[in-house]
Amino acid sequence: MKRIIQHITIYVLTAIPLVTLAQTDKAYDMNINGVKVIVQPSGNEIVVIQTIIKGGVQNYSADKAGIESLAINALTECGTLKDDKNSFKDKLDKISARVNGGTGMDFAGFTLNCIKRDFETAWPLYTDAMLSPRFDEKEFNRMRQDAINIIRAGESNPDNAIRKMARQTAFAGRNYAKDPEGTVEIVTKLTAAETKKYWESVFTRSRMVIIVVSELDKSMIEGKVKEFLAKVPAGTAFKLKEETYSPEANTFKPKERENATNYIQGITGAPLPGTADYNAFVLAMRIFSMRHFIEIRTKNGLSYAPGSRFSEGKTPYANFSVSTTEPDKYIAVARNLIDKVKKEGFTAEELKNEKTGYLTGIYYRQETNEEQANALATNEVVHNNWKRSVDIKNDINKVTLEQANSAFKKYIGYVTWVYQGDPKKVDGKLYTQKTTPPIPAEKKAF
Amino acid sequence: MKSKWLLLLLGAVSLSANAQPRLPQNYYWQKFDNGLEVVVIENPKVPLATIEIAVKNGAYTEGPEYSGLSHLFEHMFFKANKDYPDQEKFINRTKELGAIWNGTTGFERVNYFFTFDKDSLEAGLKFMNAAIRFPIYREEDMQKERPVVDGEFQRGESDPGFQLWIDVNKRTWGDLFTRKNPIGDHNIINTATPEKMMIIKDKYYCPNNSVLVICGDVKHDQAFQLAKKIYGDWKNSGFNPQEKYPIPEFKPLEKSDYNIKISSIAQTPYMMLQWMGPDYRNDSAGTVIADVFSAALNVNASKWQQALVDKGLATYAGITYQTCKYVGPVQAFVVPNPLKMKECYEEVVKQVKMWGDDNYFTDEQLQTAKENLLRDKIRNEEKPSQLPSTLTFWWCSTSLDYFTDYDNNMQKVTRADIQQYVKKYITNRPVVAGLIINDEMNKQYKPSDYFSTAKAF
Repeated sequence: MKRIIQHITIYVLTAIPLVTLAQTDKAYDMNINGVKVIVQPSGNEIVVIQTIIKGGVQNYSADKAGIESLAINALTECGTLKDDKNSFKDKLDKISARVNGGTGMDFAGFTLNCIKRDFETAWPLYTDAMLSPRFDEKEFNRMRQDAINIIRAGESNPDNAIRKMARQTAFAGRNYAKDPEGTVEIVTKLTAAETKKYWESVFTRSRMVIIVVSELDKSMIEGKVKEFLAKVPAGTAFKLKEETYSPEANTFKPKERENATNYIQGITGAPLPGTADYNAFVLAMRIFSMRHFIEIRTKNGLSYAPGSRFSEGKTPYANFSVSTTEPDKYIAVARNLIDKVKKEGFTAEELKNEKTGYLTGIYYRQETNEEQANALATNEVVHNNWKRSVDIKNDINKVTLEQANSAFKKYIGYVTWVYQGDPKKVDGKLYTQKTTPPIPAEKKAF
Repeated sequence: MKSKWLLLLLGAVSLSANAQPRLPQNYYWQKFDNGLEVVVIENPKVPLATIEIAVKNGAYTEGPEYSGLSHLFEHMFFKANKDYPDQEKFINRTKELGAIWNGTTGFERVNYFFTFDKDSLEAGLKFMNAAIRFPIYREEDMQKERPVVDGEFQRGESDPGFQLWIDVNKRTWGDLFTRKNPIGDHNIINTATPEKMMIIKDKYYCPNNSVLVICGDVKHDQAFQLAKKIYGDWKNSGFNPQEKYPIPEFKPLEKSDYNIKISSIAQTPYMMLQWMGPDYRNDSAGTVIADVFSAALNVNASKWQQALVDKGLATYAGITYQTCKYVGPVQAFVVPNPLKMKECYEEVVKQVKMWGDDNYFTDEQLQTAKENLLRDKIRNEEKPSQLPSTLTFWWCSTSLDYFTDYDNNMQKVTRADIQQYVKKYITNRPVVAGLIINDEMNKQYKPSDYFSTAKAF
């Protein structure tokens, strides 16, 4: 069960992970054949290599959503020119190497995770998958049916279902409305030939970043990557677009779903990467997240899983989520809380503590090579600056209370709300009305 | 072969009651006079410390009248205590410490863990001490926490995988289902009282039923000293909870059973088969063999994967075994291709019947599975903050010696061992099968025509 759930988890950018260096040597980068190769020595025997293809949902039109995901899966599921699918997988199994990939809103990643002593066996398999994928018709058809089943399994999961609906509603007509996994309707029609053609169009050095987290020798990395990149087309220059999100009114969209409770999600604005407000907003949303938790769960017992977070990316947004038996009371408590924070701001103590917790989080995510690779990749794609993942400790310490309060006030405005459950059990007006609703009397939805 | 190392394992168990257990390098163990076992793991990878307390509590200690209350108790741990009298103050303290924290409740373990800066070790240990030894249960706090815990339950019920799990487990464990259901019963959760919380505390929350693990950028001498200073006066309960409140034995399944559950939220069908597997008390060697068997079936070249996933009959077909002190479940979870669901189920049945055949695995496949388990171990040891949870799982359901010897013992498993294991626990044994499907697909694919254990097993 765990593996299928992991399997169906969609690549979503949430908080940008960050690393700082407590151990080992410093990270460095190299330019090899026009591609930035970022290397973080790891101090352990695990090798993680990620090949990043920039673009994500900007790489395809809405009617082809799912094609990048299918292409990335085909690299390991349809064999290579040297190995059919089973031969390829069996060779990886023999050394328990993991080669897999996924795609999200801003980029796709294709990852190798192996033990250092197996690297010489794993590397050719990893690069063959990208350089000479077979896109075998029979295997492709099997894999496409699996992709459809996985999309359906994802829709069965209530958290996935509400998350998807929230994005599609908030970003209707924009790139972020596209679901990287696609829909059953779209994926059903995709063919091996067009998916292969698509892969060839995005697998270029111009869209690529390579991340290496391992104890492999610098000269060895340089040699292997150089040999690999010599076989990758240059492609045309590519730059990811940034978009702001700022809804002009509160909206509420309900959908009937036979859940055992009510699922609600809201999306509002956030600062663009590189702006002066960015780090202040990161901290502001983390402090707010705890306030939201205390108000919704601790003080009012309204939900097991109240969430609020800054979803970082090329179209950044803030997000509120909850599953609750009392959707009307939730919105009243949440909106009153937002008003209070806007009016009174956070405290100096909260900011100080948040900075301490942030540092713990940085080290916590530095514990594995894959987490470090994710941090480097995400910062390079979203901020054009992998070093941000290393320098962030100092930058975050510079944020003042005034900046955090000001960022929260500036970006938390109107909210696009969506709901799944029994629409009769929720009063949508409380979500959309301009004035903040008073906290209603006790009312059980179920 | 099997019987030899089985004896070795059993011998290790009897020794461990009084002797220093075998542990991996950089692991240190002490047992305080009050019975509290303390393990320190030195791992300076990052400048953090993780502390965890695990208690032998959980679903297996719950009769119907307490179903779900180990879990509610776990939530109340984070509510109020003598030093932090309400949850807001409790959470503020976690913020001051910059802590990442959580707790979990399973079949045979409840654990609580905090990760923070290494310099906050003493403060963190004191914080944990106040919560585990001096909790405050107020009716008003419980009123607020009951819907939270019930909300966690409802979230599960909104997921078809969970719905299927509940259905199959109810039929597997029968009258003793509560002993395998950590999430519990809505009514019991919603009527829980502070008195019931105190009963759980008095029964199970004592040093002689708990283990404390300190891991990270720490020195073991200093960590033991701090632990002793803070937890040394925690009073031994004077009894062994497992003996005083014995766990009833699960009755073997008498006959196979199956069910098709219709649910509108199941956008694609899920299939589950479950058997009663070995347990640590009665067949510790069998628990290791079960893991190797699962790993061997999950390899791409296995007949199981080739027949189901490679042929496009299933998107996923995984086998798991969960080690337990009291009967661990063996589970097959399959996501069938809805277009070929009948063929998929028939193939599952066919394969299960062949699991015990001499030629079901090649030696090479078995070796690959073992190699995979060894390499996975390297990966599982990568994240220092996860090490305590791994250790406490084995401490609660097996022993520290079992944990330490696991890799060596796993390497000794033979094809003959696997055959014996399959015959003993799976082939020709009753099975519980479940399918969850939405109404539309149910009408279209008519699983009731073929999804039956009566016809198949």
